[in-house]
Amino acid sequence: MARYQQGDFAAATALVQRLSPQLHRFFAVQVSSRASADDLLQETWLRLHQVRHTYRPGEPVLPWLYAVARNLRVDHYRKAGRTSAREQSLDESPEIPAPRTAAAGSTLTMEELLAPLPPSQREVVEMLKVCGMSLEEVARATSSSVGSVKQKAFRAYQKLREHLGNIGGLS
Amino acid sequence: MRDREIDDILKKAAQAQPDPDPALLSRIAASMQPTLRPVRPLPPTWVLACGLGAICLAVAMAGAAGLGFYGVHKMSGVQTVIFAALAVVTGRAAMAWIAAMIPGSRRQETPAALLGIACVILLALFAILFPDLHTVRFMRGVSCLEVGVLAAIPAALAGWLLLRRGFAVDPAAAGIAAGTLAGLAGITMLEFHCPNFQMWHVLVWHTAVLPISAAVGALVAWLVGRRNPARD
Repeated sequence: MARYQQGDFAAATALVQRLSPQLHRFFAVQVSSRASADDLLQETWLRLHQVRHTYRPGEPVLPWLYAVARNLRVDHYRKAGRTSAREQSLDESPEIPAPRTAAAGSTLTMEELLAPLPPSQREVVEMLKVCGMSLEEVARATSSSVGSVKQKAFRAYQKLREHLGNIGGLS
Repeated sequence: MRDREIDDILKKAAQAQPDPDPALLSRIAASMQPTLRPVRPLPPTWVLACGLGAICLAVAMAGAAGLGFYGVHKMSGVQTVIFAALAVVTGRAAMAWIAAMIPGSRRQETPAALLGIACVILLALFAILFPDLHTVRFMRGVSCLEVGVLAAIPAALAGWLLLRRGFAVDPAAAGIAAGTLAGLAGITMLEFHCPNFQMWHVLVWHTAVLPISAAVGALVAWLVGRRNPARD
């Protein structure tokens, strides 16, 4: 990261290659299409590039990166919400696609697994389990306390246990 | 079902998600190249905090110097404790503003919670340190509110100049933190200047500077955030 701040293109490329897969998963869990996740990934790197001076050497990279990514995702939801509100007023009978369900014998998708969780709990589970961040890092990325993150994770696991129990665990 | 089993299911689901297209990653990296110049990272938090503290002190002293140091001259030794409290709360507000301007910073409390805590601390201390219950010419105290809020404006502007290279992921929270800090500079100036030690005057007209500054800060930050095309 320090080399990226010093203008090293190889370091920038390495960062993009290394961090993009988990960042892409972070977006893919909650956006409707892969194209949207790709767009968000590009926008996030653009924003990270613009504000790269706000990272301070010695500090953990992931909270900084996810704080910015989270901010863009929230903006994306707001924009998507405004757009869909306008579109629905014009469409007479919008077709709502049926939710995808896991075929028997297949693994549940992340989206299906986290579906019963409210956004704040879903975000914490994603950061902890999908992105592999620590409690402290999640607290920093979400501008909250470690206690609050622990509480959200605990409640999320309670709901996930219930949800997985209802669908009989993994088929 | 145990937590570990849930972990395994989540890990499996995460691994099943497709990775981004390598061509996309190459495009992203290539798009950075033309603007990839060395950048100077932001200074350490303590440097920024000292800068904000110095700004608040300078604004309070300059304001009081213009209007007269009547308040501090009239104060008893015990009553000067209010300055120590103001210094501590100002320090916390400075840290909150810095945290709001640097993504991924460790945060002690939210700016809104800090505003509430600061108001409660000041109200309690004012009630204890200024026990005069007279309410002579109470409404004339509105001038203190005006002067306090006016003093907060240069403090907020100078603070923003210091932190302008930061990036607020939550502009409203950053605005509340900025307004709280600037309001504290305004109150400090009032304590240096105002010789009216009636409890209700201090409780109402001095303390009110804080929520008003914070509200203005939040509003300005929200409006700036809406107008900034980079955010949309």
